[in-house]
Amino acid sequence: MTDKQDEFGLNAYFDAARKAAKVPSGDLMACVLADAGAQQPKRGAPAPAAQAGLFASLWAAIGGWPTVAGMATATLVGVWIGISPPAQVEQFSAAVLGDTGDAYLVDLLPAFGDEFGEG
Amino acid sequence: MPFDAMNDVPDDALLVLYANGDADAARALTMRLTPMVLGYAARLLNDAAEAEDVAQEAMLRLWKIAPGWRQGEARVTTWLYRVVSNLCTDRLRKKRGVALEAVPEPVDDRPSAPDAMIEAERAAALQAALATLPERQRQAVVLRHIEGATNPEIAQILEISVEAVESLTARGKRALAAALAGRRAELGYQDDG
Repeated sequence: MTDKQDEFGLNAYFDAARKAAKVPSGDLMACVLADAGAQQPKRGAPAPAAQAGLFASLWAAIGGWPTVAGMATATLVGVWIGISPPAQVEQFSAAVLGDTGDAYLVDLLPAFGDEFGEG
Repeated sequence: MPFDAMNDVPDDALLVLYANGDADAARALTMRLTPMVLGYAARLLNDAAEAEDVAQEAMLRLWKIAPGWRQGEARVTTWLYRVVSNLCTDRLRKKRGVALEAVPEPVDDRPSAPDAMIEAERAAALQAALATLPERQRQAVVLRHIEGATNPEIAQILEISVEAVESLTARGKRALAAALAGRRAELGYQDDG
């Protein structure tokens, strides 16, 4: 940019320098273009695969989506049986465990009460 | 996009096209930016071969950064000027002590010359005088008065304040004027201070 006031009388030198600007050689332009081609991402090339993280490794180790889908189904079925057990399950549990209406009080340390009582 | 149609496309948009694999964008950027980069490097280094190396290296860095370029954040030219400034600073540091002896003195024993010759001699005299300036002053003066950058742009390029840029250019011009004082009459400046 030319100095409007040209306090130091340098404008003619700057103008001359701009006119004498160095023109790049054909070799330099060819080298720059070659670098551009070498560095340029290829059109439509797939993005480089990301390095698998810890979670992705674990996910793959347990078998991915098919395995997790099976586990999720089993979990939901279990929860549902707990909330609303079918008649067969109730009959089975009654047969094995007896009357589910009973409650048991188990005193694991009967002697303790006496010791507290004695001080 | 056809190559001819790229003349009006801004630098940063071309860089995005380049990163997307557009070969014409690579050519357009090379044609547009290499002369600018080379010219600036040549003025800072005063050595044609080294200036070509720096220009190629700066452009290589541009190609490498292209995929991560964030459009609208910085001007491509500002970024390039900064890269060239830093590359030149590194080179000048490495060869400091040799530089002053290596500065070619303008030929001063020629007979009175036509205008074109005077222009060329003025350019050579300025180049020799620029080489005597401290590095930052030289960068600021070249960017402001030859490359045509604004003070805020120079502040971004050199990573200093606008006030510091103004101070550098003022001191640089004063030093240039002093260095050129002895040659003014020979170069057609009899009437100037």
